[in-house]
This record gives sequence, structure tokens and C-alpha cells, in this order.
Amino acid sequence: MSEEPPRRNPSLLGRPAALVPARSDAGIPENPAAERLAGLAFVAALLAGIGLLVVYVLGGQTQIEAVLLTACLGGIGFGIIVWAQALLPNAPVTEVRHPLGSEESAADPGDALAAPAITRRTMLVRLMLGAFAGLAAALAVPVFSLGPAPGRELFVTPWRKGLRLVDETNIPVLGAQIPVGGLLTVFPEGYPGSADGQTLLINVGPGRLQLAPDRASWAPNGFVAYSKVCTHAGCPVGLYRATLESLICPCHQSTFDVLRGAVPTGGPAVRPLPQLPITLQPDGTFAALGDFPEPVGPSFWNVHSGG
Amino acid sequence: METLGSQGREGPGSMLAAGERLRPYAALLAVIAAMLGWWLVEQADASRAASSVGVTQVASLDTGRSLYLQGCAACHGPSGEGSAYGPSLVGVGAAAADFQLRTGRMPLSAPGAPAVRQSPAYSEEQIEAIDAFVASLGPGPAIPNVVASNGDLARGRQLYLANCAACHGATGAGGTVGGGFVAPPLDRADSRTVGEATIVGPGPMPAFAFDQQQLDDIAAYVELLHHPPHPGGLPVAEVGPVAEGFLAGAVGIVTLLAVARWIGRGAR
Amino acid sequence: MCTAVADERASGAPGRVIDGGPVLEPRRPTELERIAIWFDRRTGFGRYAGTVLRKVFPDHWTFLLGEVALFCFVILLATGVFMTFFYTPDSRPTTYHGPYAPLDGTQVSAAFGSVMRLSFEVRAGLLMRQIHHWTALVFLGSIAVHLARVFFTGAFRRPRDINWVVGVGLLLLALAEGFTGYSLPDDLLSGTGLRIAYSAAISIPFIGPWLASLIFGGEFPTLDLISRLFVFHVMLFPGLLIAGIGTHLLFVFVQSHTQYKGGTRREDNVVGQPFWPGQVFRSVGLLFMTAAVISLIAGLIQINPIWLYGPFIPYAVSSPAQPDWYVGWLEGALRLGLPIEPTILGVTIPAPFIPGVVIPTILITGLLLWPFIEARLTHDRAEHHLLDWPWESPVRVATGAAAISLFLVFTLAGGNDVIGVFLNVPVESLTMVFRVLLVVLPVGTWVAIYWLASARRRRGEVERAVETAPGGIALRRTPDGGFQEVEGSPGGQPTQGGPPA
Repeated sequence: MSEEPPRRNPSLLGRPAALVPARSDAGIPENPAAERLAGLAFVAALLAGIGLLVVYVLGGQTQIEAVLLTACLGGIGFGIIVWAQALLPNAPVTEVRHPLGSEESAADPGDALAAPAITRRTMLVRLMLGAFAGLAAALAVPVFSLGPAPGRELFVTPWRKGLRLVDETNIPVLGAQIPVGGLLTVFPEGYPGSADGQTLLINVGPGRLQLAPDRASWAPNGFVAYSKVCTHAGCPVGLYRATLESLICPCHQSTFDVLRGAVPTGGPAVRPLPQLPITLQPDGTFAALGDFPEPVGPSFWNVHSGG
Repeated sequence: METLGSQGREGPGSMLAAGERLRPYAALLAVIAAMLGWWLVEQADASRAASSVGVTQVASLDTGRSLYLQGCAACHGPSGEGSAYGPSLVGVGAAAADFQLRTGRMPLSAPGAPAVRQSPAYSEEQIEAIDAFVASLGPGPAIPNVVASNGDLARGRQLYLANCAACHGATGAGGTVGGGFVAPPLDRADSRTVGEATIVGPGPMPAFAFDQQQLDDIAAYVELLHHPPHPGGLPVAEVGPVAEGFLAGAVGIVTLLAVARWIGRGAR
Repeated sequence: MCTAVADERASGAPGRVIDGGPVLEPRRPTELERIAIWFDRRTGFGRYAGTVLRKVFPDHWTFLLGEVALFCFVILLATGVFMTFFYTPDSRPTTYHGPYAPLDGTQVSAAFGSVMRLSFEVRAGLLMRQIHHWTALVFLGSIAVHLARVFFTGAFRRPRDINWVVGVGLLLLALAEGFTGYSLPDDLLSGTGLRIAYSAAISIPFIGPWLASLIFGGEFPTLDLISRLFVFHVMLFPGLLIAGIGTHLLFVFVQSHTQYKGGTRREDNVVGQPFWPGQVFRSVGLLFMTAAVISLIAGLIQINPIWLYGPFIPYAVSSPAQPDWYVGWLEGALRLGLPIEPTILGVTIPAPFIPGVVIPTILITGLLLWPFIEARLTHDRAEHHLLDWPWESPVRVATGAAAISLFLVFTLAGGNDVIGVFLNVPVESLTMVFRVLLVVLPVGTWVAIYWLASARRRRGEVERAVETAPGGIALRRTPDGGFQEVEGSPGGQPTQGGPPA
């Protein structure tokens, strides 16, 4: 080796780094027990990993895979932590905390940013910002492509006068299918499974309903139809307590009185479930007399405007 | 000088410190034990009520009527016409009587007591006799013959999800339906019980006019729900995210806090 | 490479000392050193390696909680990428044919079918899925615990207020990730949650129906919804999370970590362990232990059995219906909401609007701005690197405790039907109790914790005064200008009626 002082990067001269900082063993704790423990943990992890591979090849089983994976990951983790705690120098090390902020240094961040060539031309800056605003307005266009204008979709359902009440297989429902104290979920004919057309057809038995006079004719022979979409937050109101003649929604526990036009009697709902006007036809099936008189489902800002 | 409860792993106060650290866990355990105790007492009360009904063998032809007069007439009237304490049984049919007696919901220990599933108070023959008597009171649904093995699981699942899951839960674990009522879990409902309950609509449950095939299908699916496949491991309480979230916190977060405590330094 | 500290030179190893730099000796570099030199020749990172590797981080165990969250994110990424290969983000109906008999022949969405396939037909698929879902629950729990630690120790004060804002942003992203994630299987339970989210969106006055239509692609349910959720869950939110986490960690690095008072720790130093190897080893160990704990839970305890819920159909619902725990507070707010839906000047304010949109916005805004609110209230805009004990700021700890109690009431209210069955209490009564608790508990908690913290702080001041008193006498000014010995002062004569300072 030459006599010149070795530099940190002798590689700059194209020579391989032949001189590296000395390694010292001072401060390294000796703990054979911990070394054995860590070693054992790593071996366990290795075996668990192999086991996992074997189980996988043999077809796999979720619980066994989980245990072996845990053993593998845990073994590695355990070994590393034991190493960290018992085999690394653990004496606290202190370093100086330099104050943040550049007040003391000569460089002022605001100074570096300011460029009179830009800031003095206020008119041009304003015009440029205006141009960016125009671009931003134009970029709103793709955003509005994301969905159709709401229009009247929240105000209408597929129900129309004359459409029969059908089940989810589009087969018209007969009165005999619903005993007194029973109910079925029905849809407009041709729209089985319709989300906003879903309707509950409930048989409370004759002479029990206490509907408003103009709604009484909408419920023939004790059969009454209400929208199944909760007017609070839209969940299907699927729970019917026959002895209470009351519906309850599972999402937030709104309750509706079936005999009195599904007015809310508890929970956070405010609007009654809209009633579907239906008639009983000679062949025993039901048909709607029109769409719901109010929007179904949760309210929105102009829900009472009539669309 | 500054200590934050413990003095570290090797400190002389570590035993005391460990005790201090364990105190919140002990408190939590005490709360859980108390809740468990309360629940157990409730269960004991319910079964005590059932066993307090005295039953004797009556060896006469009109067994059903006699049993009825002994155990049911006080609330349902001597001819099933009902009273202030119980509804009329005219026209409810053998299916209703069979359901209530076989699941032990009836007879109630006292008027107004909640009707919950218990061991039946009567033997098989006695139940059949009372069924026949109730059926004679007026025309009503007969006991359906439901055969789960004739049912189709896929159709049953669809029927169950559309008509039953709202109250009894997708997992069959049951749940509250408000008004003080609880839709019971279906883990002990056999095919006959499923059929009877479905066509009768006992208590707050609505009635359904399913045909034979539909009853078989639903019964088949309910049978599956007795032991639903759980390839993912222990089915946690089968009530969904509430239990899952609780476990994630009580087991997951707590364990990881302990791990962090192990890895990092305590107070110094 | 650059690990030498003054002490190590005393080892006696042969070598030359050059100008106070590291001792160099002629020997072959190790493998690790050769790799480092290879990179250094191409990046010049050697200049900074020393600073980075030697950087000191305090090692109290409560500083590891954020790392638990970080490692949860790593696990989510790993399991998530795996599942992405099997998931079909499509709402279009298909017919399920697979080993799960009750669904065989049933019409399900392609998305649902793909998750069924992953769970029942892909080896280790169910394990990956369950690890992913359990980790998500733990992810948000660890964020909450980490946030609480940062809050109650005042770690968010300048200069870390900016990092607090980043952190709250990460919390919101994690929440959104979780919600979109568990909605991807398109099952009955998560679909019900999406319906509620849609209803909350349309409840916003004037812009609600428009906003909901743009986000969902039309009136609920739409065919586009699942694929959009997929884009958010797999691309947009993870990207933002990675950038945010990187920023979050960068701030911690640049600003150095805070530390508790005591020992040799001061505002102008950092006492702890160097980044390498101590902290790296501990962190890597924590990563593996986190993964191990979650793997055990995930494989042994079932979660989200979508085959029992079945595919989402808009006209069916299962009870009980809850979202994952971290959205439970929103669900509880909706359940506790009063049935009030006023119409003012023709504009209806739907019932879900206040509990579902306004209250969360207020709470999140409060959380986001807390460091600035507190700085304004306390007029404390100084730099802080030493942490407070929680009781040292009674207002802060009381507000935090009250906020936690509010969150707790909301979350428990979200499960009121399940709790009602468990405790054999009617759900209506529970709801009433929770409504009362909603007001009473946070107020009561605030008052109680404030009182307790003030008392503890007073005691702490006395102790400190006693310990640091010069000459063993601690004095306190009396209102009349004199001096009085502090209780517990060791020895010394009391001086009364001295001249005012």
C-alpha cells in the first residue's frame, strides 16, 4: 500500500476498497442462553415453514395452515426480538436534537421562493389563475359523466296501473298464498326483484284495517300493500310482528303500524311507508291501481315537492 | 425518579408492578364473570319454571280432554274459547298445539310469562292426545309431514333468505324483533317444528302458506344451519360484525399491546 | 460502514486513526459492506447512511403502536394483492357452480362468485381472505390506540401538528378502505350497508341526489357500483395511503421522535436506541409478531361467512345487521337519531342527515383541528419534544376521555339489538338508555376526568417543587406577597412576610 492517507472512497480511483472501518467487539453483550433461544426459535420457524409447504401440497387445511404460519412468523419474530433485547448493546444512546426552522441560518425559505419576475406581474398572475379556473371548470365534465342526472328516478318506481303483483319468479301471487297474519314480498309484473318496486303484501284479515278514507279502497279484503323500502335509510323492512300488526326495520329499529297506513310508531323514521293501491281481481290475483302516491325509500331535500 | 407504574423488567419492583398491570385485566374478568353468572341464573329460572308443572298419568279414553282441563283450561278456557289470560284455541289446529307443547313453550309457568323453548312438560303420547283434542275444537292446520331429505338445499336457502332470515338471521342465530319479542335461534328446530311454526305463525311470527316441497326445502336448509359449514374456524357467536369486532379488540389489540410492551422499554 | 463511536476506538484493534475519523484497517470488507459499497458508488448514499443508521429513536413501548398499524397495512397489502388475482369486480349476474351446495345453481354476481371460489376452491384462499379481514379490524384498532397515545401525551403540538393532520387523513383513508373492502364481496350484509350509505348521500340538501348518482352511477343499486368500489379499494385509496404513510414517517424522521420526561431526556436531545441495528430489529420483530398473532386469530376464528349471508339481493335483509366495528359509531348515530325531518322553506332535512352526515363531519373536523384549537386555547405555540403525562393538561385529557366515551356510546348503540338479546333487555329500552348516555356520559366524563387530572397535576407540582428545591426548601408565594414553605419540604425554616420579588 502507498503512504498516502486512505480516503473514504478509494473506489474513485478505480481501485477496490481495500480499507474499511475497523470492527470492534466492544459493547456486544454475551448471552449464550439467549443465543440458544433465538436459534431455537429460528429452527422452529424453519420447520413450520416446511410444514406449511407440506400441508399445502397435501391439499391444505385452513386451521392447520394458520397454526403453522403463526409458528413460522412467530418464530422469526421471537428470534429477532430476543436478539434485539439480549444480544445487541442496549445502553441508551443520546444525540443532539437540532432545532427545526431556519431562523438562525442565513437562508430564508421565503427569500428563495420570491422572484420579482413573477410576483410583480400581478395582472398576469391573476389572468393565469383565471385560466386555471377555466380548466378546472372544464374538468368538471368527466366528473358529471360518472352518473346520470337524478331526474325523476327517486320519485318513481316501475309500478303502473294494471300491473299484477308477482313473486320473485314473476308468477302472480294469489290471495290464498297468504294466510291471515302472513305476508309476502311482491313486485310489479315484469320487474321481479325490483329494488324500488319491492312491496309487502300483508293479510291482516277483514275488518281490522284503520286506513284513511281515501286509502281504504286500496286494501281489498284485509290485504294491504306497502313499500318494503324503509323511509329512514332504505333497508328492506323485513320483520313483521303478526300479533302487534307492526313492521320493524332491522337496520335502525324503525317501526310501522300496518293497520294505520304504516305510520312510524318508533325509531328514527318519519315518513310512513307509502301504500300501493291494489285491487283483488276475479281470478284471485292482485293488480296495482297506479304507482305509489309518494316517493318510496329515504327522504331527500325535495321529497315533498311532488317531483 | 419518574416512574410510570412499573420499574421495568428486571427492576426489584417488577412483581408488584406486574400485579398493578394485571389489575385492569382482573377487573375485566370480574365483569365478564358477572355477566356470565347473570345469564346462567336466567337459564336456571326458565328451566325451573318448566319443571314445576306437575304431570300425572291419566288412563282414561278422553286423555286429551283431561290433560287439557288440567294444564291448559285455566288460561285458554274449558272449551278452548279463550279468557283474559290466554287466546282462543278454536281453529288453531293440531299443528299449533303440537308446536307449542313439543317445544315446551306451553304450558306457561304463569300467565304473561315469556314463551321460550324448554323441555316439554308432557310425554309423546300426552302431546298427541292434547293435539287431537285441540284439533277437535275447530278446523285448523294439521301437523305437516315435513321430510328434510326431500328438500333441495339451494331452493331452501333462497326461501329462507327471502322469508326467514330477516328475523331469524342468515345464520339461524335468531335475534330481537322489538316489542319485547325475540326470534329464537333455530339450532334445535327439527323438520316437524319448522313446518309447524311456518304454517301456524306462533306468537309474533307471521304465518306462511308454503306447499309441501317448499316446507321440505326450508327444513333441509334449517337442518344445515344446525351445523353450518365453518371452514374458516370457530363461528364466532354467529351474530356477525359485533362479535368479530369485539374479538379483534379484546384478543387482537390486547395481545399486540402485550407484544409491544415486551419489545419496547418500560418506564425508566 | 460508519458505526464507530468514540468508545469503540478503545478496543485495541490494530489500525490507523486519521484526523478523528473512523479507525481504518486493512481487511476484506464483509458481504454486507461490499453490497453497500456497490450501491454507494451508484447513488452516493454513503454520505447519509451514517446519519440515518445512527439516528436515535426513543424506545418506549408506547411508541410502537403506530408501527403495529404500519405492519397491519403491510399485511393488508400482501394479502390484498394475492386476492386481487382471484377477485372479479363485476356486478353482472352469473350462476354459481361450486362445492358449496346451498348456493349451487343460484344466481349471484360475478364478484360474489369469485369470492366464493377464493374461499372454497383456492388453496389457502380462505386463510388469505380471513387474514385480510381480521387485519383490517386490527388495523383500525391499532390506529385508534396510536391516536389516543399521541393525543393524551400531547405529541401533536408544534412541530408535529402537521403530522397529526396527515395522521387523521390516514385514519379516514383506512376507514374508507375498510368500508369499500368489505363491500366488495357483494353479499347481503355489506350490500345493506351500501344502501344506507346511498341514503346518507341523498340526504344532503340540494346536492344529495346528484352526488349520490355520480358516486354510485345512478339510483341504487347499480351495476357499476362494485367495480367503482374496487377502483377505490385497490388503487386510489392504497396509493393515497402509501403516500400518506411515507409522509407520516418522513416527518417523524425529520423531526425526530418525541420522548417522555425523566432520566437524561431533555427538549434538546433524543435518548434511545440507534436506528440500526436496535430499532430495525425491534421493528422487524414486531412486524413478524403482528403477522403471527393475526394469522392465528384469522385461521382459527371464522369471519364474514358470506356463504351464509348469500349474495346481495335488494329486497332481502338479515338481522342483526351491522357494519364492521369501526363504522359502528355511524350506525349507532343513525339508530339513536330522533325521528325529526323538518321541511324549511320547501327544503326537507331528512332524518339521516344530522346523525349520518353533520355529526361525523363535526367530529372529524374537531379531531383534525385539535392541535390548532389547543394551541389557541393555551397560547402555547412553542416547540415541544418532551411528552406530557396525560394529567398535566386536564383540559386535554378530559376532552379526550369525553370524546372516547361519546365514541363508545355510539359504537355500542350500533349493536343495540345484539346487546339487548345478550343482556335480555328490550332493544327499545336500550336505545333510550343510550340516548341519555349520549349526553350524560361525555359531560360526566369530562367533569370527572378534569377534576381527577387537576388533582393529580397539583400533587405532581408539589412533588416536583419539593425535589428540585434548592437547599431543600421549596417555597410558594402567598397572596399577600410573602413566602410560605411548601408542604413536604425537607427541613428548613419557613420565611414569612418577606419582600415581594
